[in-house]
Amino acid sequence: MSPPTSTPVDANLELTLGARPELWSRFQNFYAALWADGHVSRRVLELCRLRVAAIHGCHAEWEYRTADVFVADTDLAALQRGDFLPFDHCEQAALQIAEKTPFQHHAITDIEVKAVEDGYGPAATVALLTAIAFFDVRCRWHLTLN
Amino acid sequence: MSTTPRVTPPPKATTADFGTLMSYIAKPTAAFFDLYAEYWQRGVLPADLKEITRLRNARVTDCGY
Repeated sequence: MSPPTSTPVDANLELTLGARPELWSRFQNFYAALWADGHVSRRVLELCRLRVAAIHGCHAEWEYRTADVFVADTDLAALQRGDFLPFDHCEQAALQIAEKTPFQHHAITDIEVKAVEDGYGPAATVALLTAIAFFDVRCRWHLTLN
Repeated sequence: MSTTPRVTPPPKATTADFGTLMSYIAKPTAAFFDLYAEYWQRGVLPADLKEITRLRNARVTDCGY
């Protein structure tokens, strides 16, 4: 697999992690695979990515918009303030996991995980939990390295 | 903390563990281990320093794995 093209949100990370290009390219391949996996819609991934960015106050991730995914301004405002009511039942379940992953990961309950599995199935649940974990990683990278 | 997965394992899995769950997303998992192997096998940091930080991170986050 050839490395995916860097997105604008990658530019700052690339400046630092470019010191280990072989590591950076492998991270890009992995991150692209999370988005291309297909078990979870790109919209749900984007909603969770943005909520994690809002929790961290990570400007770089918050300002970036993933290609081919439309999120209305009203939804963006809701994500910024942690209001999940505008989203459908399954999206709310996913966002509840995203809400707790950065700083309350031990508070994620069996019921909350089951709600995601009931909505999306087990494979999607694994894909979603993995993606959210690395949305958290990216924010920490941005905030630590830049 | 529990180390028992909370997600239903694949139908043909004989055990419910981290590895069988990750088989649901085979391509990202393979890409991750390609990345992780690169991190551990090369670079300017000594392996013992990486291991110390890995263990400390596991402790801080209370990760039984």
